[in-house]
Amino acid sequence: MTLWLAIAGAGLVTYLLRLAPLVVSVRRPAPVALRRYLDALPMAIIAALTGPAIVLPNGTPTLGAEPVGALVAVAVARWRRNLLAGVLAGVASVALLRLL
Amino acid sequence: MRELYGGTRMRSSARLALADGWPILLSVLVVGLTYGVVARQAGFALLEISATSWIIFAGASQFVAIELLRGGAGAGTVVLAAFLINLRHLLMATALRRHFADRPLLQRLGIGYLLTDEAFAMAVGWYRRGGAGVAYYVFFGAALWLVWNVATVAGALASDRIAEPRRLGVDFAITASFLSIVALSVRGRADALVALLAAGAAAALALAGASLVAVIGAGALAPLAIFALPRSDRR
Repeated sequence: MTLWLAIAGAGLVTYLLRLAPLVVSVRRPAPVALRRYLDALPMAIIAALTGPAIVLPNGTPTLGAEPVGALVAVAVARWRRNLLAGVLAGVASVALLRLL
Repeated sequence: MRELYGGTRMRSSARLALADGWPILLSVLVVGLTYGVVARQAGFALLEISATSWIIFAGASQFVAIELLRGGAGAGTVVLAAFLINLRHLLMATALRRHFADRPLLQRLGIGYLLTDEAFAMAVGWYRRGGAGVAYYVFFGAALWLVWNVATVAGALASDRIAEPRRLGVDFAITASFLSIVALSVRGRADALVALLAAGAAAALALAGASLVAVIGAGALAPLAIFALPRSDRR
């Protein structure tokens, strides 16, 4: 139930944000500072979600595999300019390090 | 005759949208496949994964929703996160508004549904080059919708085939996706600062036993650090 409520709620909120300016008349354009803030916001929230998952994977303190895997994922994603490459490199390095 | 001309122009706008947009659609395909695999590995059913793709239809917030739900978050937290992540669409729709304002309400309901970062970027380029009408935007937006929905389902199905019983490292897939998304979004020193600050503050909060809502709050505050930088470094 939570799941479907979450999907419906997230979908509705997203749709309304996309639709509202097209159906209600709005005033002046947003100030530059607000635009800059909103530009960085999605990335910041996603980055925030990685913090706990790196230091407390599955709720227990990391033994070191996750921080290293995180660095590998970031480096490979940037190097290859490719999401999937970053994911695969991150997962593979975590898997390897956990074997040690 | 005029009608014929209108039809020809509409078709060529549509064809141009694919000619210009196929590299973007290709990367949407890759991200969609990744999302399908990652969501399936996180334990979600095919129907649920597909539903997120057409009901939410926003890549980053779908990844986040999956991660939050997996961690036992409530619906309110998921909706809050989607709201914050997609707040930028309010500005995008505002910027495109004048091109769509004369369309009937029913068309605008569809135009809004198809608004993604990618469709926005394509539309901005089209209108800046002197393009007119909505065919270009609508055709690209619909193509992206189709690619995204097919790719996420295909990823979820493929995941079942490659699925070994919870191999080591698979639980790290969502985190690795987030890290890659962030790594690909950082466009300058200011962005890098925000990302590091958000991740660092959130990690500290988690170690101190704070809730997921506090973690999301830390993420929402992190971009304010941009304004502590000298004006020339904010981009």
